[in-house]
Amino acid sequence: MNPYPLDPYWMVALKALLVVVGLLTAFAFMTLIERRLLARFQIRMGPNRVGPSGLFQPIADAIKSIFKEDLVVERADKVLFVLAPLLGVVFALLAFGAIPFGPPGSFFGFQPWVVNLDLGILYLFAVSEMAIYGIFLAGWASGSKYSLLGSLRSSASLISYELGLGIALLAPVLLVGSLNLNDIVNWQKENGWLFLYAFPAFLVYAIAALAEAARTPFDLPEAEQELVGGYHTEYSSIKWALFQMTEYIHFITASALIPTLFLGGWTMPFFNVPYLWMFLKIAFFLFLFIWIRATWFRLRYDQLLRFGWGFLFPVALVWFLITALVVALGLPRVYLVYLSGLSFLALLGATFYSPKPVRKGGGA
Amino acid sequence: MSPWEALALLLLLATGLLVVTLRNAIHAALALIANFLVLAGVYVALDARFLGFIQIIVYAGAIVVLFLFVIMLLFAAQGEVGFDPLVRSKPLAALLSLGVAGVLLSGLLGLKLAFSQDLQGGLPQALGPLLYGDWLLVLLAVGFLLMAATVVAVALVQPSRPLDALRPEERKEEVLR
Repeated sequence: MNPYPLDPYWMVALKALLVVVGLLTAFAFMTLIERRLLARFQIRMGPNRVGPSGLFQPIADAIKSIFKEDLVVERADKVLFVLAPLLGVVFALLAFGAIPFGPPGSFFGFQPWVVNLDLGILYLFAVSEMAIYGIFLAGWASGSKYSLLGSLRSSASLISYELGLGIALLAPVLLVGSLNLNDIVNWQKENGWLFLYAFPAFLVYAIAALAEAARTPFDLPEAEQELVGGYHTEYSSIKWALFQMTEYIHFITASALIPTLFLGGWTMPFFNVPYLWMFLKIAFFLFLFIWIRATWFRLRYDQLLRFGWGFLFPVALVWFLITALVVALGLPRVYLVYLSGLSFLALLGATFYSPKPVRKGGGA
Repeated sequence: MSPWEALALLLLLATGLLVVTLRNAIHAALALIANFLVLAGVYVALDARFLGFIQIIVYAGAIVVLFLFVIMLLFAAQGEVGFDPLVRSKPLAALLSLGVAGVLLSGLLGLKLAFSQDLQGGLPQALGPLLYGDWLLVLLAVGFLLMAATVVAVALVQPSRPLDALRPEERKEEVLR
């Protein structure tokens, strides 16, 4: 039944370790890369003092955050206060193992993924749902009303965008007929990338993934000036660093999942080398998201929820129904490509011809 | 009984006990999550993988988050002592749940659990046609029930008149309600 060969357990454990170490290293250097890139966008230098062109800055940051004073609020729930960041990191790390990086047998004769689940997408959902608890408990256990409000904000927006995310994924799943990530990549290798068939779903998924990773248009926890920060306001030193770690791991995982699900994964129509294209695609999305952070505004909370429920959710639902109709009636799949193209043109038109915002109540 | 089954049983009973004995409502909800996770593991071990993942996504994920929101908004999550709105209701609750368990058991005893279909380890490709074919009416009935409950909940919290048509003191009351 399973066309994908299985690895011995020691190899699976080794690969899991490799993924964890790789993600943590990537986290450390992503902080540096992000700061350097943001600096470049803002025409300044960025961190460049520690080591050659700032390369050892993450190590200095790690030492600093470990040796800072670890404050715990008097009214905090001591056990959950420590447990919350750990939960967050664990559930963030779990998701990455399901992503395939090449064809079977391309990892020194073993498989280039940690787990190959029949229900891969459901697994991803289960893990990302559980990741909400890290945020939720952090805010509650802090024993501070600002943290509590921040965690309510964050978890409510996570749950809202999870819906759009899930329904956006239904369209590709219907086309492929499988929840297995390897099957999805192989289908794209044979039939063309899925964003051609489901451009609106791709767009909704990318935006919702940004929200899930709490990246810039949706980074309310970072809004110290307006909202006294988010769920991690009361956290300091290494625990705060763990939350940063969680966010960056979500960020990297999202950047790996978007190409896997919509952009052909590790495959490419020409010059097909495993790993290479996957890493390039991940790097592209990481760069894109940092670019968005450098140039975009932050949404207000009610706008954020309204956008999630009022725009992303209906768009994903309508596209799911269209795909279901095409699949159920047995129409040629090319219709979906045409419709995707149309929706892309509609998006372009809306971007160029959107009316200027009207300022209510006067003022300059 | 294999050691794994014994471990699952022990964990299920322990977390279930914690849910009803912990004084803090948030801690109890966390024990409930642990219980659901173990239950999902049991489902997966019984080759009902789809059900196992749905258990995590829907129950351990969405529903307990909803519980936690309600607990917080009702201020029932004070750290020191749990707030008990129904005094001395525990014996009654125990009696009722024993009764429900008895009803469920008696229902199970008469049931013949033999399937002619191959469910392929509980994959959605095999479950889907069954769920939306033979059991479609049951599914629709359950969905209708849930929708009716949602409509009732929304109708119950509606103010008697629109908020901006109320006098200031009335509005304060409605917001507090």
